[in-house]
Amino acid sequence: MVLETQKALLKSDGTRLDDRLPTYVRPAFLKTGAVKVAAGSAYAEFGSTKVIVSVYGPRESKKAQAFSDIGRLNCDVKFTSFATPLRGKAGQDIGDKEFSVLLHKALEGAVDLHSFPKTTVDVFALVLQSDGGDLPAIITCASMALADAGIVMRDIVAAISLSCVGKNLLLDPTYKEETQEDGSVMVAIMTSRREITQVTLTGEWSSTKASEALELCSDACQKLGESVFLVPKVCIEEIGNFAIFQLPRPPLRN
Amino acid sequence: MGEPMRRTHFRLSPSQKERLSQAQERCREAAGSVHASAFVNVGDTILVDYENGFLRGHGTQLVDGQLLATVCGVVERVNKLVSVRPLRARYNPETGDVVVGRITEVAPKRWKVDVNSRQDAQLMLSAVNLPGGIQRRRTATDELNMRDLFTENDLISAEVQTLHQDGSLHLHTRSLKYGKLENGHLVKVAPYLIKRLKQHFHQLKQYGVQLILGCNGYVWISAVPPSSSEMEIDQKPADSESRQPGAGTSEGQNVEITRDLRVRICRIANAVRVLGACGFMIHPDSIVDTYEASLSWGIEPRQMISGEFHVRVVEREAEQRSKKG
Amino acid sequence: MVVGLSAAEKVYIAGGIAADIRGDGRGRHQFREFNIDTSVIPQANGSARICLGGTDVIASVKAELSVPPPGRPNHGKLEISVECSPTAAPEFEGRGGEELSMDLSRALQRSFLGGTSGAGAAIDLAALSIVEGKLCWALYIDGLVLSSDGNLLDALSIAMKAALSNCGLPKVEIIGGTSPEEEPDYELSGNPEEFTRLETSLVPVIVTLTKVGKHYIVDATAEEESQMTAAVSVAVNKKGSVCGLTKRGGTGLDTSVLLDMISVAKRHSAVLRRALAFAGLFSSPNVEKRPVSFCLLLFRRLDANGCRTK
Repeated sequence: MVLETQKALLKSDGTRLDDRLPTYVRPAFLKTGAVKVAAGSAYAEFGSTKVIVSVYGPRESKKAQAFSDIGRLNCDVKFTSFATPLRGKAGQDIGDKEFSVLLHKALEGAVDLHSFPKTTVDVFALVLQSDGGDLPAIITCASMALADAGIVMRDIVAAISLSCVGKNLLLDPTYKEETQEDGSVMVAIMTSRREITQVTLTGEWSSTKASEALELCSDACQKLGESVFLVPKVCIEEIGNFAIFQLPRPPLRN
Repeated sequence: MGEPMRRTHFRLSPSQKERLSQAQERCREAAGSVHASAFVNVGDTILVDYENGFLRGHGTQLVDGQLLATVCGVVERVNKLVSVRPLRARYNPETGDVVVGRITEVAPKRWKVDVNSRQDAQLMLSAVNLPGGIQRRRTATDELNMRDLFTENDLISAEVQTLHQDGSLHLHTRSLKYGKLENGHLVKVAPYLIKRLKQHFHQLKQYGVQLILGCNGYVWISAVPPSSSEMEIDQKPADSESRQPGAGTSEGQNVEITRDLRVRICRIANAVRVLGACGFMIHPDSIVDTYEASLSWGIEPRQMISGEFHVRVVEREAEQRSKKG
Repeated sequence: MVVGLSAAEKVYIAGGIAADIRGDGRGRHQFREFNIDTSVIPQANGSARICLGGTDVIASVKAELSVPPPGRPNHGKLEISVECSPTAAPEFEGRGGEELSMDLSRALQRSFLGGTSGAGAAIDLAALSIVEGKLCWALYIDGLVLSSDGNLLDALSIAMKAALSNCGLPKVEIIGGTSPEEEPDYELSGNPEEFTRLETSLVPVIVTLTKVGKHYIVDATAEEESQMTAAVSVAVNKKGSVCGLTKRGGTGLDTSVLLDMISVAKRHSAVLRRALAFAGLFSSPNVEKRPVSFCLLLFRRLDANGCRTK
């Protein structure tokens, strides 16, 4: 059975169904300023996973809550009803909520909450199309949107996930690959400080394999981060309101 | 007395249970203990002298001419007044009590303080010493800077100033010994275990530890603050307030806490926890006694909250009581 | 749970951890004393309760007959959820405990359920299959927080491991044909002597390392947890494999620190597992204590639904 899945996901020359090598990420398209009314926004495509994030605030905290010297970060993730092949994927509500929590955890370490006391920054993420690696795409996109909104941040956060299928580690998996995985790792990193803000791991991993996977993810985040880092800059310089970043991939064969 | 080991998490082996119940029995039999009939449950009949008349006090009710208890606790008689003092209840404040409390809210001109009572106590801005120690009217600036004195979650020691009809109480910290607490930690016990005494601030000089036994069951155990090491707290003349301006509320008195001192503080804290769990009165003598016992038995601080140590403490107490009797 | 501490207390707690002597006298790498009771819930197939200092949790395992999940005909089902009862703390009333329960159940699911293919799950899912494509066991593992004084996740994982070890599945007899077209008939054995146990040696335990200041500690109390900068929960099984990783807290961690934490957690998990075995966990499963009537009830329900309970 294990052999079957491997056969299905990897071609005879060791490349994946979309011609990527296992350690290659999908081509990414990143753009800030996607929503006009928001204080900051960003749009990201990783392969055919498409997310849009807008940031509002800092604005007065609405809820009457206990006195707090620091600001609040409010994260909300939604899937459009057409994001998945099945309309309104089963159990999606729980998924949304969990993604919101994980997004918050990945970002709170990077945002300087002391810079906007008693106020709230809202981060709204919308997954337009879900094709694997949704959460890392949301995290990366949200950190760009926060930077676009002029929120004081310690660093840009970039995130990548990885699937383990049989013996293979597949970086930035597609939905198809995710459904057959034996285990997965998601890492979010503050790229220039090289600090992990969030990490999750499922499935059974030997220590060596776990550290290999973590290293692989952090290296990929690092590379991704370098590109992400440029996006708001490019926008500021008004060279264009978007930038395309093609990460290295094997040449397409005919 | 029901289940004597409250709020403990260990399980006792059958032999330990046996030893515990035997020791408890001996404690009860020992002279000086309250007679078993003094403990009543809700609905129990309280024996009173109906012929000479009696006064119905708190915790009792009259049903068909019979006096019944409305709370679980100990029957207390003062002349003709019969009342029942509940053992497990919130703190019942009295004027002059020394309490340890936690600030819950900073409100206009006052702080709200949790003192384990039914209502949060109030500490008025006019009832604290201002830094500088000069007596003066409170200005609007003082009101704006209230969080510099005490902020939410700060622990303070204070004295109950007044009680009101509606159950609210006011505190004051108008003495150098009261104020913000630092360099230590808090242990909570049942308020009835702490007797009202002349002195609630204790310096266990031999250990370098300060102990504040709040009447509300909050016990503060800390390193001896540097300012008080040279001054005798109880004999302090009233006018010393002006000589040592603002020492009661000043911050940054962080003394160097060595590992040894931490171990001693921890041992004291665990001694209080054990006494609290066993339901023994908490005063400096019993704490020091338990502390020394743990040392002589060669028990590490962290083992003091184990079941075996509790049983041995109860056994030891039983022995001491029967010797006295 | 929100614990309000004054600035001075925070300094004291952090200082104590740096000096390797915590508030209750423990060192950085010492667990609190804990107790395990098994078979505490007679109406469950397996159950356990663990008291870890002031933390008190119950885990129960209920087994139901079910149809295999779509796409995986030879697998059984495993579901995990956690509930925080308002009896534990007034904050848990209404929706108050929801966020915490979701956090805990997600972390446990991550550690116990393996990948989407079912590989690496705590219980061999293929062993839960009865008739391929037709009938399997569904195990519902429920955690209940009765009292909370920190380190809930570790306590829940230990309780769940104990409950699974305590679990006995009644024997299922297949009466009807087993050909693919036919709807087979089954009978649940009402005989309390006839049961199968689950293979639980690979169920992981979770060790949470809480970072306070420069150091990290195991088995943090609620007060210590309120002071954490980051916490990493590592699930480790008998083979020493990492089965799940969850990070909490806002501060970033260096990769090398993370890897170091994983190896420390592995050492602790070995100690915990030995303690679990020592506690006489792997004693008799719950079956004999279960009222027979329950088995019969289940049997009747099966009949009415044509062997397809939900």
